[in-house]
Amino acid sequence: MSEAVMSTSGPPAAAEHEDRSSFAFIAIGALFFVVSGLVALIIAGKLQFPTLMGSVSWLTYGRMRPVHVNGMLFGWLLAADMGLCFYLVPRLCGVKLWSEKLGMATMWLWVVIVLGAVVTLLGGMNQGLEYAELPFVLDVLVTIAWVAFGLNIFMTVFTRKYQQMYVSVWYIMGAILWTAFVYITGNFAVMGTAGTSQANLNWFYVHNAVGLIFTPLGLGIAYYYIPKAAETPLYSHRLSMIGFWSLAFVYVWTGAHHMLHGPISQWLQTVAILFSVMLMIPVWTLVWNFLATMKGQWHQLRDNVPIKFMMAGTVFYLLTCFQGPMHSLRTVNAIVSKTDWIVGHAHMAVLGAFSFFAVGGAYYSIPRMLKTKLHSEKLANASFWLWLIGGLSFFVSLWIGGFLQGLQWNDPTIPFIDTVKFIQPYWAVRLIGGTLMFVGILFFAWNMLATYVNRSHAAAE
Amino acid sequence: MWSKFDRNGGLFIAAALGFFFIGGLITTVEPPLLDKSWATPLAGLKDYATLAKSGDTGAQQIMQGRSIYVREGCWYCHTQQTRTIEADTIRSGWRDVRSPVSTPDEFVYDKPHMFGTRRVGPDLSRVGGKYDRQWHVTHFRDPRSLVPGSVMPPFPWIVNDPQELDALIAYVQSLGRAKEWRPAHDYEQ
Ligand code: HEC
Repeated sequence: MSEAVMSTSGPPAAAEHEDRSSFAFIAIGALFFVVSGLVALIIAGKLQFPTLMGSVSWLTYGRMRPVHVNGMLFGWLLAADMGLCFYLVPRLCGVKLWSEKLGMATMWLWVVIVLGAVVTLLGGMNQGLEYAELPFVLDVLVTIAWVAFGLNIFMTVFTRKYQQMYVSVWYIMGAILWTAFVYITGNFAVMGTAGTSQANLNWFYVHNAVGLIFTPLGLGIAYYYIPKAAETPLYSHRLSMIGFWSLAFVYVWTGAHHMLHGPISQWLQTVAILFSVMLMIPVWTLVWNFLATMKGQWHQLRDNVPIKFMMAGTVFYLLTCFQGPMHSLRTVNAIVSKTDWIVGHAHMAVLGAFSFFAVGGAYYSIPRMLKTKLHSEKLANASFWLWLIGGLSFFVSLWIGGFLQGLQWNDPTIPFIDTVKFIQPYWAVRLIGGTLMFVGILFFAWNMLATYVNRSHAAAE
Repeated sequence: MWSKFDRNGGLFIAAALGFFFIGGLITTVEPPLLDKSWATPLAGLKDYATLAKSGDTGAQQIMQGRSIYVREGCWYCHTQQTRTIEADTIRSGWRDVRSPVSTPDEFVYDKPHMFGTRRVGPDLSRVGGKYDRQWHVTHFRDPRSLVPGSVMPPFPWIVNDPQELDALIAYVQSLGRAKEWRPAHDYEQ
């Protein structure tokens, strides 16, 4: 079934794709990736040298941290994901993107939002809710941009030539619909509440920002690029349906697992735990599908850079989504909650799995949309190894350090400050891993830029 | 039967939103309706925002301090919840007295909520009254002079602004005081 829409020989491209807004979104994403990465290094450095840049209010840890988080999530990942959607949805529908003009306008609006976010956050205009730090005006702009993006995608889908919608298209449509409600709940509805009710909405939003925005977008992207880049058909259409609909049903229930043992009703904690464990269903069906697709194709891991990223991303996804349900068990949670274990986990999801998917997609698509060759395969390969090694040292050091610190917290005879001193060397390893990843980001951005600049030259060869 | 969903856009949208709203409504709208304790204030809990509006200067100071706490992102490093974990009640406690666990009725007026997620520094849900004013002044100027090895940043621009400094300290001293639990004399030093 899936081959009908995603065969390798495929129906002839029904449309000449312009890809202007797709390219522009990925390009601004890469730029913000560099900037947010730099901010990340500074705040990680502050945990080694707490007085670093400490005399200026707008460079303090508590103001730069939200710049890093929002910059990575919205500036880099969501921008890159939107760019990749603009690339793959028209191709899966056999038509052009509905409106390149609207796409470019959305992109410029996105630039305004990200710049506005940097200025307001450094200025200390923080709403005090995680992932929802941005002021009302910017929230409204984000909503407008999202509607514009959604309209463009949905209109493209509605005018499609191929009747059957490939699984990537469902994930992306699902993400657009869910995001609208998740975002409104987390940024507008939440403002009318206080205390535990507000925390509950806040966690609903934070959890689903990852679960119903970045997850379906990332998976939709992976579902497209894995068969494409490996030039092999998807293993099973039925598995992808089970994965999608179980994700649609299960994910939304789990927000309260962020407040286990906290001031929130026990029954809600239990519901969140049950559904967190059920998350294994969509995750394992999807991973099985991806791995089975690669059957007989594993030799491609040797020199197919996009496939390297996609497969490493798949493994990170499996690991993150194995950790998630484990953390939500009360006994495990009592150790790891509020520690850096969770920080390692969150980074593996967003920087590991979903950024790997986005980067792999970008390496595959950028040369194709510019009708040229990638500037340097070697540089791309180097960025992969930097990210893999840097990422692993980053994640693993935080897990070990965080887990042990959690055990120490549960022994109240150990003074708190001793647990801080204990974890510092692990933070140092994280900083080194982060630095490697930052170099990888620079390689990636440079490669993209050089491919763009040399495009006509390389095409003429 | 399932294949209808990947041919018919309208059906797809209806199903995707339907699934979402089942869990979405049950976990967001319904809990506060079912569990009244989320919105029922503890007896004696002060609503500083309303008091501040009616001209109470002490409450105004605490509200200003709270907004500084939000602005400087203290909440990225400090949680405000003593969880239902024994070690939490001992760490939040005072000498040999354990602190009560945090309950929703203590936070009814907290806006934005400051429960937090990460403990780079210790939990602050019961810190009110733990130290005296001078300790906080010194600590905000140079945390490592009091606690060697601390990674808390210095906040010179707050310490050098008497009004902000008083406000932030007033806020920190107000934390966790709604439940009367701290033994007779307050300051450890
Ligand atoms: C980078 C993380 C970080 C930030 C940001 C931060 N702190 Fe801290 N804080 C710590 C650490 C670590 C300690 C423990 C060592 C110490 O006492 O200095 C601590 C200790 C404290 C204590 C003493 C708690 C106790 O029980 O001994 C108070 C009070 C405090 N911080 C208040 C604040 C306030 C108010 C802000 C914002 C203006 C803030 N902190 C910002 C990391 C941070």
